[in-house]
Amino acid sequence: MSTMSRIIGLRGYFFLFLLMMGLLVPLIISTPGYSNGDSTPSRAPDAVVTLTDMLTFDPYDVVIRAGQTVEWKNGSVLVHTVTADPGLAANKKDIALPEGAKPFNSGNMEPGGVFSHKFTVPGTYKYFCIPHEGASMVGVVTVKPAAHR
Amino acid sequence: MKSLAKFKKSIRPLNAFYLVGLMLVFVLFVSMGIRKAQAGADHDQMMKKHMMKMVMMLQKLAPYRGYLDAHKGEKKPLGLLGGPITVKMTQKTGGVFVSLPDFRRLDSNVLGTPKMPRAFGGTPGINGVPLVLRGVKDGHYTVLKKKVPFADKSIVMADGKLMLKAVDATATDGARSDDSVHMMASWKDKAGNTYSVKCCKMLAVHGAEFPTFGGVVTNHILHGSSRIGTALMPTEYTYFAFWGMGAVMKNGKVMAKPRLIHGMLTEYVRTKGYKLAFDDEVTPTRLQFHLMIPPMMPNMKEGRFEHSAVHTGFKLPNGMELPFWHVMFENLDIQGKRGG
Repeated sequence: MSTMSRIIGLRGYFFLFLLMMGLLVPLIISTPGYSNGDSTPSRAPDAVVTLTDMLTFDPYDVVIRAGQTVEWKNGSVLVHTVTADPGLAANKKDIALPEGAKPFNSGNMEPGGVFSHKFTVPGTYKYFCIPHEGASMVGVVTVKPAAHR
Repeated sequence: MKSLAKFKKSIRPLNAFYLVGLMLVFVLFVSMGIRKAQAGADHDQMMKKHMMKMVMMLQKLAPYRGYLDAHKGEKKPLGLLGGPITVKMTQKTGGVFVSLPDFRRLDSNVLGTPKMPRAFGGTPGINGVPLVLRGVKDGHYTVLKKKVPFADKSIVMADGKLMLKAVDATATDGARSDDSVHMMASWKDKAGNTYSVKCCKMLAVHGAEFPTFGGVVTNHILHGSSRIGTALMPTEYTYFAFWGMGAVMKNGKVMAKPRLIHGMLTEYVRTKGYKLAFDDEVTPTRLQFHLMIPPMMPNMKEGRFEHSAVHTGFKLPNGMELPFWHVMFENLDIQGKRGG
């Protein structure tokens, strides 16, 4: 029998195992589920929008319920943003936020990049891509009230 | 048999007659064909001479000729008021837009109307827009009748990279300049070929038909109604621009050198679908950098431009080589400051 085994014993190994699990499990759970995104829990998005080389958000309009999440994927070779911030708009007609909703901005999304946002306030959101706003790269998210159980 | 022989004897003169007739008809058709071909070639030659004469007349009408005559020999041109401006610009990631030959829609803000035309003086493609090339319908200009690098069609190409440092120290055109530009730009096609442009071995210290401000200009308006550069691009505020000579490369191999190279950082001149804007469609608070290697070369001795396709090495879907580069970079990090 090794020295270690003699000192610790089987019960000792068991408690050591519990200690390690106690340290590792919270670490695994807290790792964010998306790159480039906000701290949304890692689960499948409720809607997915693709950013294209044609300077469009595809689909242009998605409809979700309050509490649900939209994910944007940059499927183009260009750098885009997903921005719903009146302070960053070149044209006021390209942005709309329901009362009480906070602005959001993905920052630069490289080709292949992903951004997600959880919508909690019902209403119509209009957002744009900063570098391509002049080329009318805008999209809409319509958020309906949460479903009542 | 006797009657047959008699018959053959009787038609011998007729045969000869028909033969001569056939020969005459043949000669007539051949000569008509030759004359038609000759007339066609003569017509083409005449049209070519007419076009050259028209272009030479238009070149004499370039609006800045007098200004350039006053400035181009100046050995000590004025420096910039307030001192030199240095511009640094990079694009490290993201694709670029590449313009394709297309028919430009004509903006009445710049070109006027058929009854009151504007912006026709100067070399076509570099400066003015000849009246004969403007489509007309219901008393308005419609579309240019020739494909140009400044229109609606474009493609996206990947992996755009740009490194540029420019100094605007000299204010006006002259015989010498303290302006400078160091630029390296590249992008890739779907097959992975890398196209690049390096500038500037030398700057255009004075223009041939419009001012170049010593080679670099800052905080100005170009194109459109300014008559500085082609009127087919919209009137656009320009943070900085340059004109110089450099090299065009493909996969590191020099394809064309020296070539005229023009770059400019401007407000955003594209609209929905990446169409080229009219003056009233420009977005003032967004920026884009245009890199242009035009299918023209300056003849500084005679003070005019001549057509010269660029050997880009990029094949269009129709198998022809793209004869120019007109590339837009839009993921820019820009710095400007007073001082060298």
